[in-house]
Formats: sequence, C-alpha cells, structure tokens
Amino acid sequence: MAMRRHAVARAGEIPPGGRKVLMVGKLSIGIFNVAGELKAYRNACPHAGAPVCVGRISGTSLPSPVYEYAYGLEGCILRCPWHGWEFDLRSGEHLVDPATKLKAIAVAAGPSESLDPVTVETSGDEVYVLLPQ
Amino acid sequence: MPLIDCDVHNAFADVRGELRPFLPRLWQDFADRHGIAVPPAGYVSPVGVQREDARPPGGGIAGSDPAYLIRDHLERYGISYAILTGSHILGASNHFDPDWGNALVRAYNENLAARWLSLSDRFRGSIIINHSDPEAAAKEIHRCAADSRFVQVLMASGSNRLFGQRFFHPIYEAAAAHGLPVAIHPGTEGAGTADTPTPAGRPTRYFEWHNIVPINAMAHVNSLVCEGVFEKFPGLKFIAIECGIAWLPHLMWRMDKNYKGLRSQVPWLKRLPSEYIREHVRVTTQPTEEPENPKHLVQIFEMIGAPEMILFSSDYPHWDFDSPKVALPAVPADWKEKILWRNAAALYGLKLPEPAAIGG
Repeated sequence: MAMRRHAVARAGEIPPGGRKVLMVGKLSIGIFNVAGELKAYRNACPHAGAPVCVGRISGTSLPSPVYEYAYGLEGCILRCPWHGWEFDLRSGEHLVDPATKLKAIAVAAGPSESLDPVTVETSGDEVYVLLPQ
Repeated sequence: MPLIDCDVHNAFADVRGELRPFLPRLWQDFADRHGIAVPPAGYVSPVGVQREDARPPGGGIAGSDPAYLIRDHLERYGISYAILTGSHILGASNHFDPDWGNALVRAYNENLAARWLSLSDRFRGSIIINHSDPEAAAKEIHRCAADSRFVQVLMASGSNRLFGQRFFHPIYEAAAAHGLPVAIHPGTEGAGTADTPTPAGRPTRYFEWHNIVPINAMAHVNSLVCEGVFEKFPGLKFIAIECGIAWLPHLMWRMDKNYKGLRSQVPWLKRLPSEYIREHVRVTTQPTEEPENPKHLVQIFEMIGAPEMILFSSDYPHWDFDSPKVALPAVPADWKEKILWRNAAALYGLKLPEPAAIGG
C-alpha cells in the first residue's frame, strides 16, 4: 500500500515523557516519547472511542503479593480519561487484557478493537508519520 | 439420586440447659444470671421462624430433637447428608463481649459433637466461630478440625467490618490449613456489634429486612475478592448460605468492568474478579428466587456460568423452607445433579455411591 509522509513535529520537540496530540488530515493522533523512543497511536480508545492520547501519563502498581506495592513503568502508562484503562505505551497493550491494544502490529489481522498503526519516522529536522494514502 | 442439604438448622429445646455443661464455671454463672445472651437483630416475622408442622411430637421447638429431624426431614426426602448450621448461636460474633462469644461458640461446638454428630453419620457439623476475635476463632478451628465430622467453618454474616479485610485473615489461614471452607449465614444483620442491615439505614419490618439480606453477602464477596483473600489463600472456598443467587451476574459484571480501569489499586489480583468468584465462592439455593417464568432463573445460572458454585439447601425447619421435591423446576438434569449433591460432595469431601446408570 502506498504510504504518505506527514510532518508532525520538529526533532527534539517531544522530550522523553512528553507527547503531542494533533490532527493529520481528519485523523487525530498522539505522538509519545517513551524513554527516547517515539510512538504514535490513533487518538481513540479501543474500549469506547475516548480521546485516549490526552490521558494522564504515569507509572503504575506492578503485579505484587497481597498488600505489597511495587510502583514501576514510570512514563510508560497512558491512562484513558474515560474509565481509566491503563495502556502500556511501549506496546499499546491494555494492562488487564493485552489483546486490546492502542497500536496493534497485527491490526491487519483485524481485531476490531485494535487501533490503526501509525508509523513514526525521523528524517533530518522533522518527525513524520506514515499513513496510507 | 443422592441429596445433600447444605443448610439444616439443629436447634435447642433448652439452650441454657444444653450449653451450660460445656461452659467454664465463670460463664456458667453468667448464663445462670443472664441466659445464653446473644444480641437480637430485632426483626419479628408474622410467620415465626420455625415451621409449625416441624415441631417434634415430644415437645421443644422445631429442629430440637435429632431423632425426629432424621425422620421428619432426612428420611422423608432421602437426604444423604445434612450440613448442620445451628440456631441461636451465630450472634456470638456480635456480642459486645468477645470473651463470652468465645466461650459460647466453644460450648456450642462441643455440644454439637456430643449430641448431634455422634447420633448419625448423616449429620455433618459446622464449626461456629466468633468472628470478632479472629485469633481465638483460629484456635477454635484448630481444636475442632481434629474431628472430621466438622466439615466447614461458619460465622455470622452480620459484622462491622467487611470479611476480606486483614483483620479476619487468621480465620482463613486456619480454615485453609485444614482444607475447610468458610461459610456465612444471615440473621444477625443489625444485631449487637453488627452494622446496620443496609448502609442506607435500617429496614422497618422483617419483610423488608429479609428482602435485602443479600446486600450483605454481596458486600462480603466483593471485599474478599478485592482484598486478595483468594490470592493469599488459594485453596480457600467461601460459602454464602441463604443469601440468594441472582445477584451474582450483576456483581461479577460490575467488578470485571471496574477492574479494567481500577486494577492499579489491587495489584495482587491476577485474574478478573469474576474468575475468583467462580473458583472460590459457593452459594446455596434456598430461598430460591422464583421468577414468574422459571426459565429466567436458569438463564441467570447460565450467566453465572459455573454450575459448581451452587449447592442445594432447604433451610429446614424454618418458615421459608424449600422442599427438595419441588425445588429448581426448570433446571436441566445435569446441572441439577451437581446442585443437589455432586458440588457439596466435592466441597465437603463426602463420599457417596455413584447412582446406578439408568437402564444399565
């Protein structure tokens, strides 16, 4: 499929832990710097279509024994502003049900709840996303 | 087909006379002055609690004569085992004085072993505990568990704390150590130290109080799952006796939905809340919900999706008794077999001969 490059940010504009939410054509997307790596997701939660990309970025309590707490994944968790579902920004996976993803590599296989993948590319001074034409 | 009745109320014709010999001298003196004091919930039924027709011919209240109970109930319905759940005793958990409560439940358990469990192999006992003193309750569980005729721990469902909380964990630790399930039974909602029967206030009359009893079981089951009791004690089973069934789909769906967003508060949970409920919680049938269309109840059972969760109970000899002859009219045969005996046999480790195959 032919892909088209869209400039979305200047290099360095999105620092680690930061994000930028913008429209590309008719599509709302969020670009996240997750520990130095840029990730982009469609700004629609697979649960109920909320603008997930404007949700709080945080860490979370990791699986632990009863009454013990282990806080981790700092800066890797995106929490949807509706209903509070937590997504791992590194994979796009919902923490409770990893089959539900913000960004599914296997989206072509067609899980209906998965978001369209958006590929991020850096070239020279610009950050681009590649979208089907 | 075999039949196991998971809620049969043995009773006392003379509660003080029967428990007094098993009380320490100091508490005998207390009982002589004040009786076998347990706090009342305060709701009175126009029907009374005991079935008029179940009164033993030799006198005493219904359920107080073991030999008559065998004839009138076990033999009449072909009941293989009756799980005895007691009378007049659950409120020991809700008395203001936990030392009296501890003495009382111990006397009860000793009386049960001597007067009931020794009389028939078809009787199986509940270790009644005082949940307001979990360390003492754990000791009582260890003491009684040596007698294998006790098959579960039983405590009042009325409480001023939710049962998942760490305060109660010594009870679950002791029960799990002996492979005993922990059951709750209603009746003490609003009595003594127990909180109001509903968090919205006190019902006005027995009718209203009885309608809303399941709210308490819902709250306790919710608490047990959320506090991680079934992660901490993976072998533990919890039985909500006489608290209804049809509320389970609602609670399971609501818990699962919330878990998807609020998981971070309970990082010790490794599965959906409903999965813990299906594996660890058991409910009894009586008083069976009776929708106008009996098939609707079967649909609810399908929504729960775990026929092994449901145990038959009659509540003999109480007024809202469910007769085994007419119970569960629309339930399919394979589910009915599990509900009437297979689930209870597995839960309580009761051995029963396999029924002969039809036409075999």
